Amino acid sequence: MSMGVGSAFSTEKISEDKMSISVGPQHPGAGHFRFTVTIDGDTIVDCVPDPGYVHRGAEKQTEYRSFLQSIPMLERSSLTDVTNIIMPFSMAAEELMGIQIPPRAQYLRMIMSENQRILSHLYWLGIQGIFLGHSTVFMWPLGDRELFIDLGQMIGGARITYSYAIPGGVRNDMPDDFKDRALKVFDYFEARLKDYEKIFFNNPLVLKRTQDVGVLPRAEAIKLGVVGQTLRASGVKSDTRIDEPYNFYKDLNFEVPTYESCDTWARCMVHLVEMRQSMDIMRQCLEKLPQGPVRVKLSPQQRAQAGEAYARVEASRGALSFHIISEGSTKPYRVKISVPSFRNLIALPRLLIGSHVADMPAIYWSLDYWPVEADR
Amino acid sequence: MSTTPAQPILPDEEKSILDFFAKLGERTKVVFAKPNRIKINVTRENLVEVTKFVRDELKFDHCTNVTGTDFPKDKQLEITYHFGSIGGTGLRRIILAVACRVPSTDPLLPSIIDLYPSVNYHERETAEMIGCVFQGHPNLSRLLLPEDWTDIPPMLKAYRLPGRLEEG
Amino acid sequence: MAAVTNFEQFVKRVLEIVFWVLILVPMVIIPIFFVVYVLPVEFSCHFSMLSCSQQINWSAALYLFSPAELNPFSPTSFISQMGLGANSMIFKSSFFPGISFAAILSSFVIWYERKLLAKMQYRVGPQYAGRVEGWLQSFADLFKLMFKEIVIPVNADAPFFMGVPFALMALSGALLAVIPISANIYITSSPYSLLIALAVLSIFPLVTVLAGWASANKFSFIGGIRALYQMISYEIPFILSVVGIVILSGGTFSLSQIVGAQGRVWFVIPMILGAIVFYITAMAELERIPFDLPEADSEIVAGWLTEYTSMTFGVINLATYIKLYGLSALFTILFLGGWNGPAPIPGALWFMIKTIIVITLFLIPRGAFGRIRIDQLIGFGWLWLIGLSFANIFIAVVLKATGIL
Repeated sequence: MSMGVGSAFSTEKISEDKMSISVGPQHPGAGHFRFTVTIDGDTIVDCVPDPGYVHRGAEKQTEYRSFLQSIPMLERSSLTDVTNIIMPFSMAAEELMGIQIPPRAQYLRMIMSENQRILSHLYWLGIQGIFLGHSTVFMWPLGDRELFIDLGQMIGGARITYSYAIPGGVRNDMPDDFKDRALKVFDYFEARLKDYEKIFFNNPLVLKRTQDVGVLPRAEAIKLGVVGQTLRASGVKSDTRIDEPYNFYKDLNFEVPTYESCDTWARCMVHLVEMRQSMDIMRQCLEKLPQGPVRVKLSPQQRAQAGEAYARVEASRGALSFHIISEGSTKPYRVKISVPSFRNLIALPRLLIGSHVADMPAIYWSLDYWPVEADR
Repeated sequence: MSTTPAQPILPDEEKSILDFFAKLGERTKVVFAKPNRIKINVTRENLVEVTKFVRDELKFDHCTNVTGTDFPKDKQLEITYHFGSIGGTGLRRIILAVACRVPSTDPLLPSIIDLYPSVNYHERETAEMIGCVFQGHPNLSRLLLPEDWTDIPPMLKAYRLPGRLEEG
Repeated sequence: MAAVTNFEQFVKRVLEIVFWVLILVPMVIIPIFFVVYVLPVEFSCHFSMLSCSQQINWSAALYLFSPAELNPFSPTSFISQMGLGANSMIFKSSFFPGISFAAILSSFVIWYERKLLAKMQYRVGPQYAGRVEGWLQSFADLFKLMFKEIVIPVNADAPFFMGVPFALMALSGALLAVIPISANIYITSSPYSLLIALAVLSIFPLVTVLAGWASANKFSFIGGIRALYQMISYEIPFILSVVGIVILSGGTFSLSQIVGAQGRVWFVIPMILGAIVFYITAMAELERIPFDLPEADSEIVAGWLTEYTSMTFGVINLATYIKLYGLSALFTILFLGGWNGPAPIPGALWFMIKTIIVITLFLIPRGAFGRIRIDQLIGFGWLWLIGLSFANIFIAVVLKATGIL
């Protein structure tokens, strides 16, 4: 097997019986992210992640823009999760500006946030299917996603990036026919979720590929600081919506799923249950939606007071937080984004080492790593 | 940023945290204490010790964020660790910020990776972004920046993005 | 052409001309002379020129090109007597039921698979190539592939790399050569045709590993090794599942006689276990989902096929689908009674109908399942499938010994 020694990408000498593969950015199994694995037979013995291929310096660029101007730039870091990635930014900015947003705006933020969660989870499901070789599970979610994109389009005005949760509230109000259409979509999708269970979540081949694969025990999950579905699948009932309720989550009834098996299958199931819970939350929000303004009118160059703010929300992939330091001008002094993908990255070498080569895509994608978000 | 007196609206958990830091005496200095957010300042000599207390006594078991900021007016770099708690009772909503200031000409400080393994990639990113060195970190190599980056660390205020218009 | 400036070049030029003359004259001019001048005379004298005293009749030359004489299916036409008729080896192996028929059928199977998968996945599949539902899509793809550049990697072993598509096509063709379509239509018939088919099928893993190695690419190498593990561990249950059939048909290895022995009952009913094992192992031999590890494109790009571009890729793909047709035809012969069926429909058409139904059965799991892992696959093959095929053999022996069948 000396064919694999010293390829164009690896820079270290591997011993004669190990092969080093770069699962690089030009690979259908990785996205814009590269990790190098060293293989001994069928077992992975080492894994070195190499993020940074799509690092665009978002944090530096916020120093050149006012708070409102940064929103479209920041939301493109996480395309499947646009509302949730700008919401903590807006929340921290509002704290620094000393304003309180109206309740209707908070409910609308919740509706869009949960819609975004379903969109992100459906995309995740599609890619998880294709990584396991299951092309039908790739096609169905991406088709059903269109319904929720249409819902987002009714409120936000665009298909993917709507720059909706700006400092001061939300940009647009909800149209009148949104509620009927949303309820119809939810009924249809709940029936479809049963089909998904039959073809993917209860499929014996998928169960064989995901159960007892990539096990992350509870204590280690907490120590490594993972968040989101990875943490909840390891038996920790932690969700920012119940840990530190923002908007009006404390008035709503929803459950946070946890599983004790800590394996890839548990992470898949957490995604499924969260999709159902998101629809439930949206139904409750549509019932409870109060009347009123949706925005506090701020100037585009609004001045923030000096100080620090740290705001966090439960994004689709986990807890996302913004730390903003302001010196009292219209531009922030320092913005630091802490994204769930970056925090989960440390679990990737831990889970891959010791597993089969064929488990690599299943484990990697079950951590829900979004390279663009992690690199900011 | 100066110390603020304990507000009357602070819940019990924050008050007990502030009492604990008061007991530590001169090693820490409370910067602000709001509901759900407390920030303290430590020196780099006390950083590891105080962090050990934070983990063992106060039960903040994971690190959520590491921020590195450049303050050229004070000629200092500030590294802030944010800690969260899963295991502690009633502490889920609190984020504790521990800030450490080092001079820009001597940006060395100890790494807390032995206490919190989750800061591994965070410290690497902070080190390459503002140019500080975490002593004791096993592998402080480039993470997000390309390997052939030859400019100064980009989050320093002295680094200006090429091609951007500078306003007054 | 370079100008001749000295004696050496002059000699070279002369030798070149002599060479071309020596090539062209026997290959082109003499056959033309023969066809135009000699053959009409022979034909009009009914090939007994020695006894013919007619003069050479030039208008007989035009006789050759009338349509009746070019009909391969009539035994007395000129084409048949030249040895190119429907019963000749060249016609059978290249047109029907040989390579051209199989290639066109496989192209339609590719279209059929895409449409079937699309319907399972809430899509529409090919729509535009050819007015009706994109039925010309695979021909359009083949046409497009012809225009792409054939890339041979620098470190690749070029003779083996380029030889693999040829080898695969040859093997698929060899598989088809022994499979009869009806009692009278076959390319070759041999008393050991089943053994020949199995032997040809067992060469496929060697060619696959060669492709993986010759590509000089780590992913191809892993894919080739995986293909080797998979195909070899599924060869044994494959062969064992057929042993029961051989026992029940009286010990013959000839595919025609096996079909003949299914006159009363199709072998799928007593040999249901064997049919299931054959079905599963055939899917593993064909590298279809759920057994498509060697081409797992989310882990190892495209496995052993990674470095193959344009027509090399097209030929390999076509060879794979011809193998699918060959294995489905084998399944039909062994288990579904081959060309047996009620009278008004000819046997060959029954055979085609049954084969297409079996092909559909092979295509459907692609929409319903994911991929199985290599260690699970090998465990499954060595433990369960061999056990089931032994049970199958036991049933066959019992049925034969007690005289039921």
